[in-house]
Amino acid sequence: MNEMHFGNRIRQALNQGLRLNAKQAERLHAARERALARQRPEPVGALAWADNVLGSFGGWGGLSLRLVAPLAALVISVGVLYTWQQNRVIADFAEIDSMLLTDDLPIDAYLDRGFQNWLKTRAAEQ
Amino acid sequence: MLRVLLVVLALCFAAGAGAEPPVDVAPKAPAKPAAKPAAKKPTAKTAVRPTWAELTAEQQQILAPLKGDWENLERERRLKWVGIAKRYPAMKPEEQARVQRRMQAWAKLTPEQRRQARENYKNIAKVPPEKRGDLRQQWADYQSLPPQEREEMVRQEKKRR
Repeated sequence: MNEMHFGNRIRQALNQGLRLNAKQAERLHAARERALARQRPEPVGALAWADNVLGSFGGWGGLSLRLVAPLAALVISVGVLYTWQQNRVIADFAEIDSMLLTDDLPIDAYLDRGFQNWLKTRAAEQ
Repeated sequence: MLRVLLVVLALCFAAGAGAEPPVDVAPKAPAKPAAKPAAKKPTAKTAVRPTWAELTAEQQQILAPLKGDWENLERERRLKWVGIAKRYPAMKPEEQARVQRRMQAWAKLTPEQRRQARENYKNIAKVPPEKRGDLRQQWADYQSLPPQEREEMVRQEKKRR
């Protein structure tokens, strides 16, 4: 029995009139409430926008595409950003370390607190 | 959805920019030497890359003084040294000689010492050259001071902190 046939049978039965007792009416009411609660709400806002864009790729059936694609994009972007950031920090260190290693002053001079203080004191005197 | 993605990306970027550098992470508290000796020594299981064998022949030649320590270096520091090796060919011969001489000692310093040296370097570099004077001469002058005067300078500097 397909859905349309079943619906027709119900319609006929309803047209003949119903004599429901209170308990049956109550069960019917509860079933209706459940059915309404299950009905999917209309997509709103950003979801509606995403639905319009991706709907053509399979509507609600394309759930994986709607969810997985942006998530994958996010993960990839974060990965790329993190790598880029790390490379930049490493390049900065390579630059300053190169300068220190090639500088006129030996590294000891940059580690000597007394010398650093002495330079400051001299600069202040001038 | 797009807007949410953009916001998340912006947040990640901000967090990344504010994050502590992975190379020579400076401890916030004063360094406690020998507190955790070689805590992150890479094991054979988790091979840190690039390995010495993965370097080019030229890089191996430039970084030769570090060969013995290479396996103890963290990934970020290895990449930093590769970065220095890339700059090496553009250096003047006397600069190249200095790099060769100083490489090993520099790698053996504690992270806190390297951080301190970089900070001092940046501070001195900020001073305009005409005010800075001949730093080599000043270093020589400083070293010719009597030891007690130099100690006094260190004492004053410690007091200032």
